[in-house]
Amino acid sequence: MPVDDPIDPLERLLNLVGMLLETRQPLTFEEIAERMEGYGGDNRDSAKRKFERDKDTLREYGVPVELVDTDVWATEQGYVIRKEVYYAPEISFTPEEITALFVAAQSGTQAQGASAGVRKLLYGAEGGMLTGLGGSPLIAASDSSGERVGLAATAAEGHRRVRFGYRNARGEVADRDVDAHGVVFRGGHWYLVGLDRERDEIRAFRLSRCTSDPEDAGEGSAAPEGFHAAEHVQAGPWAASTAETALVAFAPGAGALALASFAGAQDVGPAADGRVFLRIPVADEDSAAGALLQYGPDAEVLEPASLRERMRARLEAIAGA
Amino acid sequence: MPERKRTVPTTAERLGRILVVVPYLVKHPGTTLGEAARLFDVPASRLRRDLELVQMAGLPPYLPGDLIDVEIDDDDTVWVRMAEHFGRPLRLTRQEALAVRLRAAELLATPGVPEVVELASAVAKLDGALGESALVSAGGGEAPARLEAVRAAVEHRARVTIAYVDAAGDRSDRTVDPEAVFADMGSWYVVVWDTGAGGERLLRVDRILDLRETGENFTARGLRGAGRPLYTPGPRDVSVRLRLSANARWVTEYYATTRSEELGQGAVETTLLTGDLGQIARLLLRLGPDAEALDPPELPDLVRDLASRALAPYTRV
Repeated sequence: MPVDDPIDPLERLLNLVGMLLETRQPLTFEEIAERMEGYGGDNRDSAKRKFERDKDTLREYGVPVELVDTDVWATEQGYVIRKEVYYAPEISFTPEEITALFVAAQSGTQAQGASAGVRKLLYGAEGGMLTGLGGSPLIAASDSSGERVGLAATAAEGHRRVRFGYRNARGEVADRDVDAHGVVFRGGHWYLVGLDRERDEIRAFRLSRCTSDPEDAGEGSAAPEGFHAAEHVQAGPWAASTAETALVAFAPGAGALALASFAGAQDVGPAADGRVFLRIPVADEDSAAGALLQYGPDAEVLEPASLRERMRARLEAIAGA
Repeated sequence: MPERKRTVPTTAERLGRILVVVPYLVKHPGTTLGEAARLFDVPASRLRRDLELVQMAGLPPYLPGDLIDVEIDDDDTVWVRMAEHFGRPLRLTRQEALAVRLRAAELLATPGVPEVVELASAVAKLDGALGESALVSAGGGEAPARLEAVRAAVEHRARVTIAYVDAAGDRSDRTVDPEAVFADMGSWYVVVWDTGAGGERLLRVDRILDLRETGENFTARGLRGAGRPLYTPGPRDVSVRLRLSANARWVTEYYATTRSEELGQGAVETTLLTGDLGQIARLLLRLGPDAEALDPPELPDLVRDLASRALAPYTRV
């Protein structure tokens, strides 16, 4: 065994991983030092410290070095890397699937390790050239940190109960006590869906409105049978499917704008005066009136009479003020 | 992958990479060094150095037959043998698995991404192997009609002529160089160089009514895409101060406000910049009694005037 340390640190680490993966018995530090280069020398303390540092480096990169009893009498402990813990599961991907994962990994909310994670999955890529790996991010970050979304996801996956401060859409701040059931991304926002214990109701909490990160508060309850987290996150009033529609006359430019803004809006033809008629789904007249008022004089509601009256009343209140 | 500053990697970083690259090369014999370098985002020269080191490593007792066999042919194809123990990659860390699924869920919920079908099947495979994740995507409506054409123009650096409606409902025809396309808060945007105005513009894809390629190509100026602020302050911007009740505080989440102060009971006083006071007047029409215009002083008259004009067709007998 050499006295000094001529071996490259990287080579030493690779040998250490290989040895601990292939060993049938857990190995004590002394056994490791005997079998491979790098932990020799007279100064055993310094060699041991080097080994400890190496072990930390390996763990930092996700290499699961474990310290276990070497025999059933637990007289001694040794190191081992269990193959079933170390190796990633075999997952085969088509080149298109890997490409899609790459596209996903390079955009969106800051989440450490996304690209590194996809690179580990590259192993399972089957045949074909992988393209589309370059390019700029396709979506911007959401309004929540990846860390907070991670905390919420971890809580939901483990059926945990969490506490956090929350400012609702009306600005009221209160502490919430929630059994986490799921985490949903919709319309650019992340939501935690769970049982609000105080209100005894399943609610959705927009994570960007939390005034503190969700904090673990012990075991929670499992989601009820047939639970679908996404169903508890409101789509906008315009996304709701509804049989009710309003007939609205728009100035031409405003009509194009409205056609793009109101989901399900339909162009039903031009009017003689150059305006365009749109049929717009209305789930809730009050919010419909609000959205249409933002078009000012460029929109006139023709039907139904109730919405027309609502528009008139709201405008009159402002004009007469 | 986006360009980032490359620094000399630490031993630990090199290790992390080798534990992932070597299994790939074992599984995919004959991969070129260049292809591997591209896939793993590492300079080819550095990858070559790492692989040269890998062949020094092996298993006890480290006799020549125990070492990993790495061969890089003259045509740059790579062959790695005698590395059964590195024949499969290291498991994804919890953090990595979460990050991949988080970003995949965001992309899946964004309407109009052509990769969604493949992405959804990839995520299903991940769920099958790693266990179901709590992260769920809820579909986000329809994709804008011109999204695909815009993405193609961005990809091919094609100069296009578009018909565009701005937020005030004014329609114009413009010739633009589309540089980057991205979704933010559920809407699609394209960053363009407006050749007529000679300036950078951020356009909403859903307001592009028509798009034709001019046949010309452009050289990218490096305009910033995803992550840029959605509101670009202009030299003629006016500062607007509003008092909003709890019902109207959503405005602070949808407009780029510069300052907000809580007034209690959910009410908030907020300041925002606008290049078009008329747009704020229209917003105030919508908010009605839930908002009060504090600044600039002419704003309340503007709103009243707008309301009278909008009211006219409803009072016609």
